[in-house]
Amino acid sequence: MSKQDEDRILREWTPILLRSILIAAMVLLGAGLVLTYTFAPDYYVERYQAAQHGHLIGKEKFGLLLDRVRQGNPHAVLTIGLFVLTLVPLARVAFCFILFIRERDYTYVALTAYVLAGLIVGGLLGSVG
Amino acid sequence: MLIDLLALAVGAGFIGAISGLGGGVFIVPALVIAAHMPMKVAVGASLISVVATSAGASVAFVRDGWTNLKVAMVLECATVTGAVIGAYLAGVVPAVVLELLFAAMMLQSAYFTVTKRGDDILTKGDPLAERLELSGEVPDLSGNLVHYEVVKVPQGGALMVVAGLMSGLLGIGSGALKVMAMDYIMHLPLKVSSATSNFMIGVTAGAGALVFLARGDVATTIAAPVAIGVTAGALAGSRVLPHLKVESLRTVFVIILLLIAAEMGWRALTGI
Repeated sequence: MSKQDEDRILREWTPILLRSILIAAMVLLGAGLVLTYTFAPDYYVERYQAAQHGHLIGKEKFGLLLDRVRQGNPHAVLTIGLFVLTLVPLARVAFCFILFIRERDYTYVALTAYVLAGLIVGGLLGSVG
Repeated sequence: MLIDLLALAVGAGFIGAISGLGGGVFIVPALVIAAHMPMKVAVGASLISVVATSAGASVAFVRDGWTNLKVAMVLECATVTGAVIGAYLAGVVPAVVLELLFAAMMLQSAYFTVTKRGDDILTKGDPLAERLELSGEVPDLSGNLVHYEVVKVPQGGALMVVAGLMSGLLGIGSGALKVMAMDYIMHLPLKVSSATSNFMIGVTAGAGALVFLARGDVATTIAAPVAIGVTAGALAGSRVLPHLKVESLRTVFVIILLLIAAEMGWRALTGI
């Protein structure tokens, strides 16, 4: 694969990847807000006021969240929507990482691996911190 | 409440897009001052919305060739390091320090808006930039492609660590700092610097957002409407942008930034 091919693939596929995940996240967030406003308006007001006082729900188990999404729980749908949104950069860097491995461009394999590791460490630091 | 938040976010996204400074710079003070949210809640919501606006705007910039993807990948190593450290520290740094830092960043953005200068394109890059194949091409006013080279990657990277740190701490994209690093230090053309900065902001903010989300420090009922609103506002702003005389709005942006800096500084110092 030439440098031009690599550049073309990056320029063609990166926007598709970004747009697809962004739309998926926006649909989930929109659905979560409609669910909240329709079925649990009091819950929205309660959480809004709690946030104004700095009271947050805190850490939640991912498996439990997915179960609640299946039950149509508005809070769980919103949380998963936010997680999907943060996948945008992760997926984009992972895509570049795989492309550079195929291209055997080891300098950029190392650079994208570092960025990927940074993103993963961010998630891990948050979950233990 | 929901409608108010959406309106605030749409406004912040719109002004962020037409000023070129990004939504985070405006949504954090909007949430703190107008919606009476604590700094930490505002930072978490803003970081997530910044990921969304970066992705939305990058689609066109990458497709049309304005983004220098390799420069972005090299400098993301620096911003992601700063962002993870910053987001981790945001949980322990007192709100008063965050508000003062925010005011300082507003002043830096105002300075950047006033001192934006023309391109200074180089035809010879330094050895590291050449080894990393960072050069690129950009169309000039008559549509002809102009080749540009890149210099001082380590110095640009050092400023990017600071940009990432501020991003993780304050929930902003630090676009003004990133563009300054690429334009002033590394000599990339201004439009390439802006598009590349916007692209990198997704990773910088994403790294910070992951720390906040995993720690359970994001108020979902605040972050969700903010993300949707800021994205919609930024989309509307980018559509209107070609029809606006942005140069004539520069003074307005600077006044807004100075007012926000004064308000945040005052809040920090008086404890209001």
